[in-house]
Amino acid sequence: MTSPTLTVAASTHGATKIYGKDDSVVYALNDVSVDFYSGQFTAIMGPSGSGKSTLMHCIAGLDELTEGSAIIDGEDLSKMSDKNLTELRREKIGFIFQSFNLVPTLTADENIRLPLLLGNKKGNEEWIQRVIDTVHLQDRLTHRPSELSGGQQQRVAVARALASEPRIILADEPTGNLDSTTGGEILSFMRMAVDQLDQTIVMVTHDPVAAAYADRIVFLADGKVVSEMLEPTAEKVLDRMKSLGN
Amino acid sequence: MFRIALKSILGRKARLVLTSLAVILGTAFLSGTSIFSATLDRTFNNLFQDVFANIDGYVRSTEVVEGDFGLIERQRIPAETVQKVLAVPGVADAVPDIQAFARIVGKDGKPIGAEGAGPPTFGSVAVEFKGALWTIAEGKFPSGPKEVALDESSAEKAGYVVGDTVKVIAQAGSREFTLVGIASYGDVRSPGGATFALFDVPTAAEFLGKPGFVDAILVVGDGTRTDEALANEIDKIFDPSAKVETLTGAEITKETQDDIGEALSFFSIFLSIFSVIALGVGSFVIYNVFSISAAQRQRENALLRALGASRSQITRSMLIESVVVGLFGSIAGFIGGIGISKLLGVALPALGFDLPSGGLVVTQSAVITTIFVGLLVTVLSAILPARRAGKVPPLAAMRATALETTGKGTKQLLIGLGFIAVGIAIVGAVIGGADNNYLGLGIVGVFVGTIVIGPNVARPVALFLGRPAAALRGVTGTMARQNAARNPKRTSRTSSPVLIGVALVTAVSALAASINGQISDIFTEQFKGDYAISVSAQGFGGLSPSLANDIGKIDGVKNATGIGTALAKIDNKGRTLTVISPDTIEGNYDIGLINASYSSLDKDGIFISRSLAERDNLSVGSVITVVLGDAVPRDLTVRALYEHDDLAGNRVISRETFAGTTVSSFDFGIYINLEDGAENTAVRAALQKAVDDYGQGKLLSRDEYIDEQAGQVNQLLGLIYGLLFLSVIIAIVGIIITLLLSVFERQRELGLLRAVGMTRKQVRTTVRWESVITSLLGAVTGIILGIGLGWVIVFALRDQGLSSFQIPIGTTIFIMVMSFFVGLIAAIYPAWRATKVDILSALNTN
Ligand SMILES: Nc1ncnc2c1ncn2[C@@H]1O[C@H](COP(=O)(O)OP(=O)(O)OP(=O)(O)O)[C@@H](O)[C@H]1O
Ligand SMILES: [Mg+2]
Repeated sequence: MTSPTLTVAASTHGATKIYGKDDSVVYALNDVSVDFYSGQFTAIMGPSGSGKSTLMHCIAGLDELTEGSAIIDGEDLSKMSDKNLTELRREKIGFIFQSFNLVPTLTADENIRLPLLLGNKKGNEEWIQRVIDTVHLQDRLTHRPSELSGGQQQRVAVARALASEPRIILADEPTGNLDSTTGGEILSFMRMAVDQLDQTIVMVTHDPVAAAYADRIVFLADGKVVSEMLEPTAEKVLDRMKSLGN
Repeated sequence: MFRIALKSILGRKARLVLTSLAVILGTAFLSGTSIFSATLDRTFNNLFQDVFANIDGYVRSTEVVEGDFGLIERQRIPAETVQKVLAVPGVADAVPDIQAFARIVGKDGKPIGAEGAGPPTFGSVAVEFKGALWTIAEGKFPSGPKEVALDESSAEKAGYVVGDTVKVIAQAGSREFTLVGIASYGDVRSPGGATFALFDVPTAAEFLGKPGFVDAILVVGDGTRTDEALANEIDKIFDPSAKVETLTGAEITKETQDDIGEALSFFSIFLSIFSVIALGVGSFVIYNVFSISAAQRQRENALLRALGASRSQITRSMLIESVVVGLFGSIAGFIGGIGISKLLGVALPALGFDLPSGGLVVTQSAVITTIFVGLLVTVLSAILPARRAGKVPPLAAMRATALETTGKGTKQLLIGLGFIAVGIAIVGAVIGGADNNYLGLGIVGVFVGTIVIGPNVARPVALFLGRPAAALRGVTGTMARQNAARNPKRTSRTSSPVLIGVALVTAVSALAASINGQISDIFTEQFKGDYAISVSAQGFGGLSPSLANDIGKIDGVKNATGIGTALAKIDNKGRTLTVISPDTIEGNYDIGLINASYSSLDKDGIFISRSLAERDNLSVGSVITVVLGDAVPRDLTVRALYEHDDLAGNRVISRETFAGTTVSSFDFGIYINLEDGAENTAVRAALQKAVDDYGQGKLLSRDEYIDEQAGQVNQLLGLIYGLLFLSVIIAIVGIIITLLLSVFERQRELGLLRAVGMTRKQVRTTVRWESVITSLLGAVTGIILGIGLGWVIVFALRDQGLSSFQIPIGTTIFIMVMSFFVGLIAAIYPAWRATKVDILSALNTN
């Protein structure tokens, strides 16, 4: 998987995010330069408050960097207007949050197509059907979120993230609210999306087992990249976490 | 608990302001109209205090003839009475007063002042005299048959200056005078916007009324005795049979003030009806806001319950909040009311109603009433939501979402349908013959029922109405549609103000349209001539009877007949008689005489309607004693019966009956029949010239006249627009508040949508369409209800001769379009707020 022909889907260069002012400043990100490769499943790990979510938000154009740049598909986000950023999120980024991923008034099908519908695009129907098949949602399409289980809701969220064939999918603790079995299903789906549908996924997680689904792990601490790991296993991750914790 | 309540209020200032807004709206109208009425009252009182300041006695006839609709005509007294009064010891000076209809014609040949609905137009007396009501601001007092003075504001409006020639129309016809003076009345340029043409005494007596008679005598004492003593002194010279009385200066001042007060009280009642509607509809908004905020605080309240707070503590804390909101809102509303009354004070003069100057009168009772009523309405509106808040189970604290749902509302549906059924049953009973008075009860039943079942129908109707939005706007439209339907209770409560306003407006328009159609039918049947001259007189003044005679002499005119009214007392009850000219009415106007000809109506005769004959057991040959404005009883013999009483009323007399007396009568219409084969355009030009020379009235062809008469009912439109304006404002505020609360509530959802790529513009579109759908929901239900209500009103008026019901199609379309815009306008601020939702903090909130 780490062949030299890898292309970069998203990257940050000297990304710094400072919260607060004067003596109470917090460096949520401190000079982070990291590349995320196409067709790879990357996990981001680190202690609470280490800047994981902040990094995701800045890559997604939801938040602005104080210094440095975030680049998606060759485009520098800091130079884009709110309108262009919105369009970028709609077309090039797929999102999966920990919870409250779906619009309660729309059906599962509408939620899956939401980015396309918002962009007034038809999308690739064949692809969408394949996504729906992959996440096993065929018979749940007309249901509203309140009629779906937590796991089903997250599957809809994964399908939505995939539906518009984005350049990159960003997931912030997508299984954080699920039991381990259901979480495992979601992670398998994401793995499958990368392997079979050739997607790019970046996922934040606290769980070594979840992280083991990834191709590569980036470790953050105090807003800095402190370590990386390729082809992780849960044991390796636990060991690394222990050593970083010291 | 009290501290917790206060903290929770202050912790959410935005909500406090929003809730108060609803209270402010309702109370502002209330205080605004009451301040305005008080101010108007006081300024007019001051005006008459001022004008009558130097008058010590007022001599007049005791004989009054009262007609329908509160019209009164006081008998005149002989002019020579003035000499007798002057001779009474203690009288320093005495001057006659005459006040009657007169219209000033402007330079453009059109009468000054609004036709019909406007303030009255008078002719009166202006003489140099210590107790004079009028003072000359410029020029001199008029003297002789060729001179006139005008009130300041009429002169200014018409652009007349001293030296100009001015045409004036009165009972005796129209005449030209030289303007010699500009007069003012107390400190105003014209009282209440009325116009005044002023003459010396003999001219006024001859031109305005009847030579040799005056309306009253103004007396100034020499200071040797009190006003009371002076009045007694004067009364002594009159024989009781003369039917003359003397009032003191204080009495006539008081009486005039009371008269004006009574006239203004209609106005006040009218205004307070509006403020009651505003307050009633406002209470829906208040109720809605409290319900929403109770729902949004469900988890917080559940937590308090879980921590040991009792039900009643939760309820009480919400009620305490409502007291704070009520006080705050009512005080702010009161201040807003001062603004509204100022606005009324500016708007009315702009509409031609000149008000005396004077500061606003803010009475203590207005302050107390406003705050008390505002507080009461707020607390009452909060009771149900507060009780519901208390009922929240402690477990709800653990629930993820705090949606505003309590069961399916089957009970509500049943209660609502029950109300509607009972309401309809009552209406049905009335249709079946029960007393009309029960109709109101039935209508209230249907209204209450509709509002109670509102939440049950809101969802399907909103979904239906949202279809075009979903089809046109794609996913944003779909979301708007679902948002409007997701919380049916909230949506239906929000649309209630629209519903009530629209229902009222639709009902009134339906009534207007029906009356319009009816009048049109009546005239088509009864008016047989080719042309008509119309004037809107509203029972005061009109066309001089001499005009019909002049018109009749024009070449090509076969005959022209005037129809007028006269006040009379019959069996001591005031009646309005229709006055016709029997020799010219034939072929012009048809009252449906039964087996008789108009020529049978002589000086001592009367025609009565068939319905009156049946009711009072009268027949041809019966004798009716009629007392006209000259207080002389006349025995009139019924010469014939007639069919059409819808315009002619129940009694018709000939002009001849009172020829040569002091009875005044004006024509409200002149009907013209052309010679066969007369050249139409030439005759019309000649007729037009005659009308122009006269200076008043409108020449209309048969069709034009019928349209115009039918269109007069459009004066009801003023009321409609007032209601519309009021409900639009309340509806907009109500929708704004609800949408804002919904936007706050849906922060996370909005954050999510923005995160997955919804543009700000799309956010706005969603909110906007939700608002439009809500507004249309109210409009559609309101129109249905309004048409029903209109039908019921028309039905209730069937005894008044209303027989055909018509749906006001134009107004209905207008209302739909209007409510669409109401939705758009109301959405502006909430939509903007929705785009300002910060994505990250929205996603992070739990
Ligand atoms: N809006 C903000 N204002 C101030 N400080 C913030 C803000 N958002 C984040 N921070 C700070 O930035 C740092 C990084 O936060 P971030 O949410 O990225 O951490 P995280 O790694 O995602 O943590 P967790 O694992 O708990 O989700 C933290 O110290 C946090 O307190
Ligand atoms: Mg985080």
